[in-house]
Amino acid sequence: FHNLQELRHSASLANKVFIQRDYSEGTTCKFQTKFPSELESRIELTLFEETVKTLNNFYAEAEKIGGQSYLEGCLACATAYLIFLCMETRYEKQVLKKIAKYIQEQNEKIYAPRGLLITDPIERGMRVIEISIYEDRGSSGSSSGSSSVSGSTAR
Amino acid sequence: MPGSSSKSGGRGPSSSPLPHAVVSPSRPLRPSRYVPVAAATFFLVGSTTLFFCFTCPWLSEQFSVAVPIYNGVIFLFVLANFCMATFMDPGIFPRADEDEDKEDDFRAPLYKTVEIRGIQVRMKWCSTCRFYRPPRCSHCSVCDNCVEEFDHHCPWVNNCIGRRNYRYFFLFLLSLTAHIMAVFGFGLLFILCQRQNINHLHAIVTLAVMCVAGLFLIPVAGLTGFHVVLVARGRTTNEQVTGKFRGGVNPFTNGCWRNVSHVLCSSQAPRYLGRKKCVQNVSVQPPFLRLQLTEAQLAAKILDNGIQGDLHRSKSSLEMMESQSCDAEPPPPPKPELRYPGIGQRNAEECSLLGKAPPTPTMYKYRPTYSPGKNHTTLTHAYANQLSRGESVGSARDSSSSTSSLLQASQQPGFRSQPSLDRRDAVSDRAVGGGERREAGREAGGGGGIPGYTLGGRSYPSFSDPTVLSAVASRSSSLAGAAHVSEATTASTSFKSLANQTPPPHHPSRNGSLSYDSLLAGEDFDKAAAPEPPAGRLCTPATGGYGSPFLSQQRDADLPSQSSQSPHHHHRSSHHHHPFLHRSSSSSSSPPPPPERDRLLGDPHTAPAANSSAPLPPHHHHHHHHHHSHHHHHHSSSTSSSSSRPPRFAAPHHAYPYRTRSTDVPLGSGGASARSPLSAHPPPLGKSLSYSSAAAAEMQYRLVRKASASAGANAAGVGGGGEGGGMGGAIQAPKFPR
Repeated sequence: FHNLQELRHSASLANKVFIQRDYSEGTTCKFQTKFPSELESRIELTLFEETVKTLNNFYAEAEKIGGQSYLEGCLACATAYLIFLCMETRYEKQVLKKIAKYIQEQNEKIYAPRGLLITDPIERGMRVIEISIYEDRGSSGSSSGSSSVSGSTAR
Repeated sequence: MPGSSSKSGGRGPSSSPLPHAVVSPSRPLRPSRYVPVAAATFFLVGSTTLFFCFTCPWLSEQFSVAVPIYNGVIFLFVLANFCMATFMDPGIFPRADEDEDKEDDFRAPLYKTVEIRGIQVRMKWCSTCRFYRPPRCSHCSVCDNCVEEFDHHCPWVNNCIGRRNYRYFFLFLLSLTAHIMAVFGFGLLFILCQRQNINHLHAIVTLAVMCVAGLFLIPVAGLTGFHVVLVARGRTTNEQVTGKFRGGVNPFTNGCWRNVSHVLCSSQAPRYLGRKKCVQNVSVQPPFLRLQLTEAQLAAKILDNGIQGDLHRSKSSLEMMESQSCDAEPPPPPKPELRYPGIGQRNAEECSLLGKAPPTPTMYKYRPTYSPGKNHTTLTHAYANQLSRGESVGSARDSSSSTSSLLQASQQPGFRSQPSLDRRDAVSDRAVGGGERREAGREAGGGGGIPGYTLGGRSYPSFSDPTVLSAVASRSSSLAGAAHVSEATTASTSFKSLANQTPPPHHPSRNGSLSYDSLLAGEDFDKAAAPEPPAGRLCTPATGGYGSPFLSQQRDADLPSQSSQSPHHHHRSSHHHHPFLHRSSSSSSSPPPPPERDRLLGDPHTAPAANSSAPLPPHHHHHHHHHHSHHHHHHSSSTSSSSSRPPRFAAPHHAYPYRTRSTDVPLGSGGASARSPLSAHPPPLGKSLSYSSAAAAEMQYRLVRKASASAGANAAGVGGGGEGGGMGGAIQAPKFPR
């Protein structure tokens, strides 16, 4: 039950911005740092870029093929993959924990005060970073966030 | 085993639920799906068990206990990988929420191109999952999911093989090959040592097991070798089979060693489905910090092309997302308001009237079910604003030229021939004087063109023909006042909207009939709603925007034999375009041209008909017949026309927009990437080109007819009459001159 229901008491969802993936380097998870125009008046460019770049770094680190991932694979093989029942994969640890925490922190500190909310891209299949833009209830007037709100409230 | 079963499609237990009715039938139980996996399991487990029971004991005594241990370990490995490959989520993308794809609709292109390491890769819109498929992603028709790094759908494990479980599949193959070879080898050893006891049960069973093993060894080893090569080259089965990188460069490869290590040593990718939603406990409370726009930013806003300027005004998420969601392309041009569901109040009556149109209801059924609500109203305005600002990417030049002509025409309502001629010369040969006048009138009477605009939008989506849609859309956009929809975009691609519409479960002929009927209907509407659309402008976007070579060929063919009379010329050219579509199905039905046609077209038609290739005249008649025929004629001939409709040229392309889900039948069928071979030959651009030009021509023709038929007919009157019935337009037109 998304907390948007609570949010709606104070602010209404006006719009959603989707930051797409940057595929210029292949299928590694990386998001575009292009600053969307809708956020121009809501947040500083530097803050936004820093958020996206940090996320990109997290994902790059999670997908890195190195010693730890190799060991993890060998261990999994050796235990006939039963280890997955007990242990979280490295990626999961990275993605779930670190990124979720980071996004939460960013939301609290930077985005919510500006009426924005970042959604973890994993919820969208890592295809987009969804940034919801809120307006003051009073000022939004006939804001037409109805469809998007319904979409998000349905989640 | 970790890894949730992924067979329930993109809607796992807690995956992104879709409030709107995603037309996803409850998966019927198909026992035939489980036959291969059951057989594989049976043979694997059964044969190995027999081996262990009958062959191994003697061998372990005779040689060493390491034999069964070795075999046991390998068999365990096989089983583990088999289970992982079977039960692990291959990397299914959850369906996109509806608010994500608002901007990617109807007028948005079917393909988005993105550059990966310097190589252009196309991302196709998945109508089932409602997003542009990431590179290497493909939609599996068996599982009805988009799978990341889709390899193939393996019937032996009854699962898609994708990013997450490819490693297990690969290891399964390797271990299975080793296992089969071991079983076969040790069985052979047993037999050779026990030649004298060959008729004992043990030997017989061993022989049977050896047979099974030998039988499976060849294909499994072959498949293993195939995948070893794939892994080394960094390709998926899908890409290999569909020949994506044949003779080209694979942008996804990092070298043999890195590819192998990526497959074997990378960390297990997370699954997207079935995640528990993390509830963010962040409260977004006003007052919000706001940025002060700097002078530069304000200046930039003023200078921008108007898209951003509208954002604050319209607050339409659609519009905003549209400018946001492009990956590597410039923002798509403003789209006309084609979202028929409830585009403004004016649509209410028109919608109901349209709903009566026999061809359209079926298509309406397949429309995306989300309701635009306020969004669309605002979007209409926004688009109108944008359009009025003359924003157009693909057909800027055309729109500019047309705009000027349009302005000219609008300033001179009675003006007839001059602009059309100019336009014809300038842009296409399909400028029509009558249409010009109509356009002017429409401009005047259309109230900014939005009514007719939306009306057109109302009917257009019922077309299953993307090019029709584009042509009509271009027309309506021209009505709205100068900006065109990006015909370039639409021309070069089909429409997602059409892809989104599930085609009727009938034949392509039915599609054709629908599109044709709705084409007629739409044209009628268009004419009715705004009796004087810019015919020339209509031609312009359709022809110019789409790229001249194809159309110019047609025009050139038309020109020599064409009389100078513009309506006829237009008509002819339109028909010539249609024959292109009809060419594949050389419909021999040529209903006798009604008298109206003769009256209107007269001789010039016979001349071009004679000059045209053989298939043309019947199609001409077809076309004429349809154009001129009354409602019932329309119906009766629609079937015949529809049967002839699916154009050969556009047939494969027809398949594009009509597929709601790509046929990602794995292993050999090459699902969505089957499109790529098709793209090798004159790309969709050409196909949609022909379609749109033909459709546009057809519509223009009707407009011309209407214009000439109803000389001075009131725009409103025509509109009212035209709206009176879906196919009523056809009836209306002939009635007018009487």
